[in-house]
Amino acid sequence: MSISDKDFEQLRDFIYNLCGMYFHSTKKYFLESRLARRMEATGSKTHMEYYQLLKSIRGNEELKFLMDEITTNETYFFRNIPQLNALETKLLPEIVETKNKMGFRKLRIWSAASSSGEEAYTMAMILLEKRNTLLKDWIIEIVGTDINETVIAQAKEGVYNAYSVRNIPDLYKRKYIREDNGLFGLFVLAPEVKKFVTFNKLNLYDDNKMIFMKTFDIIFCANVLIYFDTASKSKVVQHFYNNLQPYGYFFVGQSESLHGVNDKFKTVHFPGGFTYKK
Amino acid sequence: MDKNALIEVAEQLVEKIDDLPTIPVVATQVLQLLDQPDVSVEDVADLMLTDQVMTARVMKMLNSPVYKPSHEITSLKRALVYLGLRHIREVALTTSVISAFESDSGAFDISAFWEHSFGVGMVSKTIAAKVGYPDLEKAYISGIIHDLGVVFLSNFMREEFLAVLDSIKGRPIKLADAEIERFGTSHCEIGLSMARKWNFPDAYCEVIAYHHSPGEATIDPVLCAIVNLANLFCSVRGLDYGGREWVSFNLFDEPAWQILKKEYPRLAELDVERFCYELDDAIPDVQELVSSIFNSKE
Repeated sequence: MSISDKDFEQLRDFIYNLCGMYFHSTKKYFLESRLARRMEATGSKTHMEYYQLLKSIRGNEELKFLMDEITTNETYFFRNIPQLNALETKLLPEIVETKNKMGFRKLRIWSAASSSGEEAYTMAMILLEKRNTLLKDWIIEIVGTDINETVIAQAKEGVYNAYSVRNIPDLYKRKYIREDNGLFGLFVLAPEVKKFVTFNKLNLYDDNKMIFMKTFDIIFCANVLIYFDTASKSKVVQHFYNNLQPYGYFFVGQSESLHGVNDKFKTVHFPGGFTYKK
Repeated sequence: MDKNALIEVAEQLVEKIDDLPTIPVVATQVLQLLDQPDVSVEDVADLMLTDQVMTARVMKMLNSPVYKPSHEITSLKRALVYLGLRHIREVALTTSVISAFESDSGAFDISAFWEHSFGVGMVSKTIAAKVGYPDLEKAYISGIIHDLGVVFLSNFMREEFLAVLDSIKGRPIKLADAEIERFGTSHCEIGLSMARKWNFPDAYCEVIAYHHSPGEATIDPVLCAIVNLANLFCSVRGLDYGGREWVSFNLFDEPAWQILKKEYPRLAELDVERFCYELDDAIPDVQELVSSIFNSKE
């Protein structure tokens, strides 16, 4: 069933208000096909009927199923190009300048919810490229954390399929990955990239551990907070805020919003996106 | 740098151009008519109807999803009633500007320029509505014409302007600063000189001159702040002349934000993130409007 503009807007607003994820109009057909599956599973005949179900007492449970359908759990290298451009063009040079003035030549980056490691390793490649220029003689620490031990093991292994590596620019591809000789279609990360990154298990709900994740310059947490209710989201985001250096930046996913979650962060806008500044 | 010195250089540059586009005859007549006491909407409509291109463009501008009138406006007279006599002047001037600069001989794709301009018009109107600024039409038209000076540079100083654009490509340098370094003036002052030549009303001249420095405006700083913010948002959300300038800003630190928040405290509640995402969604509307305006001759 094709979704009317009115139903689409209603569902979009509902999802946005609940999860902080905005469905662009260009995603209408995607949403439509994913909704179709859930409507069938729940026996809803119209979008309106399904919307009523979401708003009902049973809605919370159904919402989890819907979120599973509409968030693709995929991740890949160089995923958010506008973010990476902003970091390279402006944010990173600014952080480096600030820390240089303090004589503190160490950069700390955290990929919270690092999954199989693509985001953390993307940063490692970008920073590695600046080892002879901007980051000469700097110490670089990149930390990836996830709640899931299986993906942490994958991240530590550093072997990826063609889909994961498809967006890596040629310059980086040539230098930092090579096709595995034994296993066709798999790509192995260069040891020099891996050595900058450590992966650990961490539950973002675990207050006792969260308070020890200190002094980061940049934190990424993409497409995870959308699963949390507002109260938990506020708490976790407050941890991120506390864990950042005074000049640090916090990045969320491409269509995410922290509006109403934390009023201390300030939005900094750049072509194709925005970030939160402490 | 001293604003007066920048304006002086701009005036000299504009004076030097012999074939500066002029306003179409009908537009001039409309402006003269509007200066007469007791002018009626019928009189203005009759006169404008003698210029089919102008009529079509006024109708397109007002009926687009970008502008969102509550009912479709089907006749020019209704369009003029809807606008009110006080805004006919600006619409006549705006359609004239479009006619004057529709050739594609400039430094960049002219439709990308108008997409940015109409985008800023649309966002200016949206911000104006959100904060409760009393004159939405004024905000819309101000947005459309704010970058008048850029088309001048693009058309009449093509090679040098291309060099300026090239020098800032992908770098966090403001276009206006790079222009001042190269020309001793920027598109703000050049636009002002042109707008004065064409007898744009003062408030519009001010927007053109101060859309990058709303804090310096004196006639209507709030209007300048609205256009300034709209311009910043369009520049980071895909209505950016194909990325001619790498813009970045910390919203709460922007003077425009401070000006607007002081005047309209409820701005503090704006869902900035959603505002950006909705702007992304509106881009196809803007592109459609621009393409329909430029095809309205046929």
